[in-house]
Amino acid sequence: MSADKENPTEGAAEQPLEAAASIRDSVENIFFRPRLLVIDDEQRIRDACERMLSQEGFEVACAPEGEEGLRLIEEMHFDIILLDLMMAGLSGFDVLGRVKSLHPDTVVIVITGYATIEHSIEAMKKGAFDFLPKPFSPQNLRLVVAKAIEFIRTLQDIATEKSRMRGLINLLTDGVLATDNQKVVALANPAFLKMLNCPRTSVQGCPVHDIVCEPVLLDMIEKALAQPDDSLVQITEEIRIGGAEACEEAILGATCVPFRDRLGRNLGTVTVLNDITTLKKLDQVKSDFVSMVAHEIKGPLNSVLMLLNNVESGLAGDLTDKQSEILGRVSERVKSMVSLSSELLDLAKIESGLINQEKEELDIAALLAQQADLCREKAAAKSIDLVLAPPDSPVVAMGNRTNLQEVMANLISNALRYTPEGGRVVISAGVEESFAVFAVTDTGYGIAPEEQDRIFQRFYRVKTEQTRSISGTGLGLAIVKSIVETHNGMIQVESQPGKGSTFKVYLPKIII
Amino acid sequence: MSEPKLIMVVDDDPDLVEAVSMKLESKNYRIAKAYDGEEAIEKIKEEKPDLVILDVMMPRKNGWVVCDEIKKDDGLKSIIVVMLTAVGDAVQSTSYTHHEGKTTLADDYIPKPIDMDQLMEIVDDHVGS
Repeated sequence: MSADKENPTEGAAEQPLEAAASIRDSVENIFFRPRLLVIDDEQRIRDACERMLSQEGFEVACAPEGEEGLRLIEEMHFDIILLDLMMAGLSGFDVLGRVKSLHPDTVVIVITGYATIEHSIEAMKKGAFDFLPKPFSPQNLRLVVAKAIEFIRTLQDIATEKSRMRGLINLLTDGVLATDNQKVVALANPAFLKMLNCPRTSVQGCPVHDIVCEPVLLDMIEKALAQPDDSLVQITEEIRIGGAEACEEAILGATCVPFRDRLGRNLGTVTVLNDITTLKKLDQVKSDFVSMVAHEIKGPLNSVLMLLNNVESGLAGDLTDKQSEILGRVSERVKSMVSLSSELLDLAKIESGLINQEKEELDIAALLAQQADLCREKAAAKSIDLVLAPPDSPVVAMGNRTNLQEVMANLISNALRYTPEGGRVVISAGVEESFAVFAVTDTGYGIAPEEQDRIFQRFYRVKTEQTRSISGTGLGLAIVKSIVETHNGMIQVESQPGKGSTFKVYLPKIII
Repeated sequence: MSEPKLIMVVDDDPDLVEAVSMKLESKNYRIAKAYDGEEAIEKIKEEKPDLVILDVMMPRKNGWVVCDEIKKDDGLKSIIVVMLTAVGDAVQSTSYTHHEGKTTLADDYIPKPIDMDQLMEIVDDHVGS
């Protein structure tokens, strides 16, 4: 190949610095030193390419003809090959075909002497990445190599991302299954296969019903894929596995969501399994204990109350005024103990209901507005100005509707109860980084700094001169905190005694 | 004037039996008492009360079984049975539901904790003069 009149390396030293710097940076951004092979029968071209690209940080090898090039390719992997199409002996097209079958990820740039469109197109069809017509300047070479490096980097980023994700998912103790929208397995981690007692190790690409025989799980995937693009519901179920002779029964919490492209089309599903057997057993113990408490404490207290009422109403003989007064006080105390045990039962019921709960996409601002409306009357009765600040942008989070309503109602009603007449309560919602946030701010009595950590504890109540007369059991904020935590959220309080308090709830936004 | 009606109060909590009995006595009913299911059946056969206030969760024999035995006995089935149920949790241990208790077995029911006025109304409705 000697048709070129021009020296391709001419002016190499005078290349603008920026161009050189840009390839060098790209090369250095790759984790390893990229290997490049030049196959050309012209010594000048080989030497010039080698000199220039070595400076750019490449490890460069050269071959004067196709046979020698192929030998090198069989020996090792090259990231980029610069390949002359027209050489004596083995042609560039033959080499190209061989490279593609040996190393499909190698980027081949063909050098074509008589820059005909036909040859270039044919080479591209056979898998070449780009072409470089002779004669070419060092600048032409840099540009085409820089483009190839960019391409390799992108592929490498994808590969890195994939391998990082695989490592991460394989380490998880929760089971993870991803399918495409044809219900073909894209990924299932070892924990998933173990939880379902699936003996197979290679499952990628097989239909999901080959590895999953639980009808509940298959149904969840079906439902997730059928979700229209205007709604996103996290489907949650409990699945019982085993329980036959040999293996102990396991209770799995399963959650399934579709994942989507930018246009909202369902591309597939992700299912996460977590073993809640122990949690469920503990919960059983707890609920047994709670019913015992109900039966053993609440029952007798109620009987005592009935006896007291009989005596108070004179069924056991006439009473003096003093006796009536004392009995009245005793009944009040017993009644408050009864209502405390009822609230305790409620808390236990709510907490056991929080395990593995169904969550859906919720408009937090709208939910907040509903709850505020329910409290208007209460606010008006105390002449408190109840203000709902509209959000700047939609505030959406994944959550359980009933439970979040409970949280909001609780915070608003607390604010109203602990704010003196004529005060102000502001309810707001917004987005902060990856959280949907809502807040209730009052101009109430406030909470001393040392009390702020303790208000979320069960039965804890702040007692000051002003709040003494406000009744409550001290369970409201404990319930609120339990609910927020099962949503992977947080609750914070900021308060200054005498000025007021702000309760702020952070819920993770939907990241799908 | 006819003899006052006989009401039997059955519960394993003696204080509850005492409280309900006091109230009924003040309204001129005659009272019989039992503290578990077996004792209740024996006394019902012996004393033939007009109405039984019957707890569900009791040792030896539960209230649903007692109720069933009353209603299947030709000599006893005219006795009015009012079940005391802590609706929701106490009933789980039997195959009867609260609903069945009301419509097919017992004549009436009242949830625990007892609202004494409501109980008196129920009793008066069934056997009051």
